[in-house]
Amino acid sequence: MDYSITKFLWTLLGLFIVTNWGMLMSSTMRRIGARVSGRIGIPWYQPWVDLVKLYSLRTQLTHGTMFYIGPVFRLMGGVGMFLFLPMVFGNPIWSNYSFSGDLVLILYFQFFGMLGMALGAGEGGQPYSAIGISRGLSQFTTIEVPMTLAVISIAIQYHTLSISEIVAAQQGGITTWTLWTNPLATAAAMLSLLGAFGHSPFNLVKAPNEIPIGPPTEFHGTFLGVLRTNSAILHVAEAALFMNLFFGGATSWFELIIKTFLIYFWSVFVGTVFPRFRIEQSVRWFLKVPTIIGILAIIIFL
Amino acid sequence: MVGPIYIIAVALGIAFFMGLFGKSLKNLSEWAMLAGLGFMTYVSGQWLLEFMSNNRAVETIFTAGFKPPYSINLQMGSIEAFFTFIINVVGFLGAMYLFKDLKKTGPNAMMVYLVFIMSLNVVVMTRDMFNLFVFLEVGSIATAGLILLTKSGEALQAGMKYLIATGIISGVLLIGIIFAYYFSGSLNIDDLLAANMGASKTTVIAVFLIYVSIILELKPFPANGWGIDVYTAANPGIGALVSAATASAGFYVLYKLLPLGGAEWLNYIAVIGGITFVGSNLMGTKQDRPNRLLGYSSIGQIGLLMMILGLSDILGEKMMIIAFGILISHYAAKAGLFWLSGLIQAKDIKGWAALRKSPFLLFLFGTFVFALIGFPPFPSFFGKWELITTLAANGQWAWMVTILAGSFIEGIYLFRWLGYAIKLDHEDLPDFKIEWNKIFPIWIMAIVLYAVGVYVTPMVEGGMFINYLPLMFVLFLFAIDFLPVYIKNTISIGGIIWYMFHIYPVLEGDLLRLIFAGIFLVGGVLTLMAGYSKKGTRKGFYPMAMMMFAGLIGIIEASTLIEFFFSWELMTAGSYFLIIRGKRSMPHGYSYMLFSIGGAYAILFGFALAFASNFDTSLAALGSINLLPTLAYTLLAVGFMTKTASLGLHIWLPGAHGEAESDVSPMVSAILLKAGVFGLMILFLYMDRTSVGATNLLYVLGWVGALTTLMGNMSAAFQEDAKRLLAYSSVAQLGYILFAISIMSQLGWLAGFTYTINHFMFKAILFLVVGGIVAKLGTHYMYEMGGMIKKMPFSFIAVLVSIIVIGGIPPLSGFAGKWLFYNAVIEKGWYFQGAIIFFAGIIAFLYLFKLIHSIFLGQLKDNHRNIKEISAWILVPSYILIIGIMIFSAFPQYILQPIGDMLAPYFSTETLVWEGTKATTSLGYWDGTTIMIVVATAFLLLLAWLLALSSKTKKIEQFNIVFAAERPFRPETTHVSYNIYAGYKKALGFLITPLVTAFWESMSNLVLEFANWLRRIYGGSMQNYAIHVVLFIVVFYLIALGGL
Repeated sequence: MDYSITKFLWTLLGLFIVTNWGMLMSSTMRRIGARVSGRIGIPWYQPWVDLVKLYSLRTQLTHGTMFYIGPVFRLMGGVGMFLFLPMVFGNPIWSNYSFSGDLVLILYFQFFGMLGMALGAGEGGQPYSAIGISRGLSQFTTIEVPMTLAVISIAIQYHTLSISEIVAAQQGGITTWTLWTNPLATAAAMLSLLGAFGHSPFNLVKAPNEIPIGPPTEFHGTFLGVLRTNSAILHVAEAALFMNLFFGGATSWFELIIKTFLIYFWSVFVGTVFPRFRIEQSVRWFLKVPTIIGILAIIIFL
Repeated sequence: MVGPIYIIAVALGIAFFMGLFGKSLKNLSEWAMLAGLGFMTYVSGQWLLEFMSNNRAVETIFTAGFKPPYSINLQMGSIEAFFTFIINVVGFLGAMYLFKDLKKTGPNAMMVYLVFIMSLNVVVMTRDMFNLFVFLEVGSIATAGLILLTKSGEALQAGMKYLIATGIISGVLLIGIIFAYYFSGSLNIDDLLAANMGASKTTVIAVFLIYVSIILELKPFPANGWGIDVYTAANPGIGALVSAATASAGFYVLYKLLPLGGAEWLNYIAVIGGITFVGSNLMGTKQDRPNRLLGYSSIGQIGLLMMILGLSDILGEKMMIIAFGILISHYAAKAGLFWLSGLIQAKDIKGWAALRKSPFLLFLFGTFVFALIGFPPFPSFFGKWELITTLAANGQWAWMVTILAGSFIEGIYLFRWLGYAIKLDHEDLPDFKIEWNKIFPIWIMAIVLYAVGVYVTPMVEGGMFINYLPLMFVLFLFAIDFLPVYIKNTISIGGIIWYMFHIYPVLEGDLLRLIFAGIFLVGGVLTLMAGYSKKGTRKGFYPMAMMMFAGLIGIIEASTLIEFFFSWELMTAGSYFLIIRGKRSMPHGYSYMLFSIGGAYAILFGFALAFASNFDTSLAALGSINLLPTLAYTLLAVGFMTKTASLGLHIWLPGAHGEAESDVSPMVSAILLKAGVFGLMILFLYMDRTSVGATNLLYVLGWVGALTTLMGNMSAAFQEDAKRLLAYSSVAQLGYILFAISIMSQLGWLAGFTYTINHFMFKAILFLVVGGIVAKLGTHYMYEMGGMIKKMPFSFIAVLVSIIVIGGIPPLSGFAGKWLFYNAVIEKGWYFQGAIIFFAGIIAFLYLFKLIHSIFLGQLKDNHRNIKEISAWILVPSYILIIGIMIFSAFPQYILQPIGDMLAPYFSTETLVWEGTKATTSLGYWDGTTIMIVVATAFLLLLAWLLALSSKTKKIEQFNIVFAAERPFRPETTHVSYNIYAGYKKALGFLITPLVTAFWESMSNLVLEFANWLRRIYGGSMQNYAIHVVLFIVVFYLIALGGL
């Protein structure tokens, strides 16, 4: 176990790369979304402009201690996911602190940020926040069902829960990817991903035009800046997780950028086509086709 | 030695004397009666003592100068001495109780009373058949006379019915005696017994007639309407005599005549007894008049005793101790209950709520009820234990089921009644007078129960190991119950700490027991600490809490089956009284008790099978069950699962835990439920898990565990009551544990232990803190709370830590459980059950968020603006537990590694390997310490970054938000809490349709409605009852002799 300063600095560099790539990816996706609806969209550097503005606002209002540290929890969720995830395969420098836990750690660390954010937003007393959170939690319970089944399926397949080992098993060309070797698990997970990324039709949590922006409604200035930073990191980290599990991982940053872009694009692509679900529709949707696929993904191993 | 004949002589002498000089004696006659009864008690007691201390020969008394069969002879042996003694004791105490009533009626009533007691003495002692008949008649007529002490139309009718019915019975008996005399040429009982009349087809008629009349005297179901009416209408003082004395004498007569017909008749007696026991108790379930209810219970108990006599050739030498245990419990408890009924004079058992005015009488009432059901330390407990184990040893399954079913049905009404007395809301409780002459006899009967219980303990196989030390402590706490809370609390905590030191050397080296002892004792100390926040004396709390802990620790210490079961029952009794203390706990305490009794009987059945397999009394007998092993495992598992509240057996828990007092909830949730887990673990470790039955059972239990978790978590998400939410959460957590240990692998058990330890810690914290908040705010409903984070920051942190653990979020210890689960599930191959477990785990976030958000976040209500933090006495134990959680989270290897080593010998493969702080399985790895360091460092760095960026933040007021285009001003309309998962309910709420509740409700309705329908046979008219008696005779004849 490597606790050295060098390791720390390399990890920090990795975090910097991921953050910037996350921001670029989000502006690109927004441009794509705009083009689909016949608009031009924001300039590619807009996220950086926003971030600078948010961090430099003079007025900072807080509803209390939990409200204040809620965004820190949220950012820790994204950063932690990055920390515990091996980013580039075969390079110990970019494997971060993944030696402290396996896939299960990643799956449960997701909740760290969610919980902190939920509590922070809760202290704000904004009803939209609470409504958004309750929707998010409801939806998340079933989003995780196909994902869990997929994870069990690949754990049976590779007989490991270590992400590095799962990636290692997929080396040797596109045909060794889980996508080909276990298409059912991949399908279940990719459908679950749609919910996890929260784009339409599953954008119930923030639900623009309905409950303003849900949980972050009361957050502004630096707090919102922290949240934006987190979403940049989180999108890349989540996409990287799917990349590692199903698409052969990445042996270089370039490969990582291409693959995470495509994985993320999948959710944006679906989002531009379908309108938003109601809560009960969304909850049920994941228990239908995605869950059946997930069950099949396990049955084939029985 | 005073000769037994003086019992009769003195009674008759005083009675004649009263008849002659009654009027002129004035106030002396009642004292003369008491003195006479006292003398009779003395004589029989002296003989009893003589037989107990010296191995003396049986004393025979010849009358009229001739030897039998030419004259009547009486016999005084040890059994006669016992029966006459108990009859005279209840006669004496009963006279004392009825002192004023008898005095008011005058010497005539006293004469009848004396003759009544005397006749029962003779019935016991006589060895002459005709003499027996005569004194049975005398007894009947005297009883009818005593019934008329109560001057009411109902009593008159009851007396008349009694006379008619007993008249028919005597007629039959007389004919039987005539036949017997004709066939054998003697009236002496010994000659009759030797005549072997059952053998021949002609002489057997005499046997039949004698049996049927003696059995009818014992009021067999259903030909007993006349007997029931006596209990209903007579003065309860007389009811006590009929129930305790007449029934004991009748029982002895049957015992005396048992060899008359030979072995085949025993079966009929047993069957009639069994039908009476079940049928009569069934009738009791729909009864709400106290005396009539007691009548049903009495007849039921006599049915049980009759059954024991009928089974005497199976029970062998154990028959004596069994019959003694059950008879003496029935005798003392029933007399005590009738006398209590006479004090309260309520027409409805609901009126017994008045008993609450005198905690001491309530205590006596509880004693009697528990003694009747067969709880320890009462003699019936040992009697029932011996009965069931001996029957099992002889393969008498049907009888075992009958006895346990009848006992359970008896529990249904007795505990409903007790619940009413303890808790029923009753607007104007009637006053009752406490007269010392009435209290004293009740008191004596309670003492008898305790004393005899302790006395018989060593007579039962393995009983001598039972540790009465904790019970002495309970008794001591009863004695000092008048002291203020803080003294009793300190003494209780001191007692538990002392016991920790006492037990540690005993358990050292046995990690499994040590962990549970730790949970029970450390948990006990911590939850008791919260008690310092209470004021007043808290009557009854400490003895009961200590009784529960005594039971819990007894389970740990037990090395024999009977010790385990004894402690298990003790724990149940203690926890019942704790649970029912809550304001609205009556129905929940009741359902807890019913499930507990049902579960206890399942365990008893299982233990009996274990014992009968090898005649091994030690707990290790569970390891070598060869009699119906699958059934035994299943019954034991079901029994233990009533405590872990697994799906199907869980419906008692939400109410029981949710409505309990704020410091009782953590005791019964964080601590008590673990007793069930311990039981299951012991069972699983001992049982032969390679057998097909055990494998299937474990598979089913795995599914039950998974579905319990799903149901528990989803139900919790839809609760509005904070404590019920936590209660459902307990159901779910125990489901995880059941699932984990059903996996039967080292990883599964490690997960089980992790959940057990975690649940103990976080549920204690949550129930303590939330209970404290509920008590402080005066509402259970979360939507009436809100914004408490500002008022109760310490509570908030405690709840926050707990919910992080429940959610399994790294870096806290809950994650250890999740990680172990993933590994165990995949290793075992229980993928779908596992998927349900993980699905349920995420649903937990719904209720966790609801809990913390609704109480602490959102909008502060106007009426809570002046609320302060909850008592430090609640926070201190909570924070001690938080320290425990933190240690477990940061250094899991210190706890999990030894547990893994302990488990290694039980499971073939050791799959979890530790390298320093890192745990590795064949699937994955996890390093709790590193995760803690990484997360803590990163979190602090990020926090520092935010602090640096936003140093000048301004705090704003509560309503400084914009919602729906305006600035809200009412917290009630702005706090989002009520039904916040409406959408989820719409989508998946159907999964928690309360099918289990509906099932149990329909079951209970079925029983009650059946009882109600059956009850119609008791039409109340004299002719009907007479026909019942005749029909009974005819049917019995047709079955026994008619070749049917």
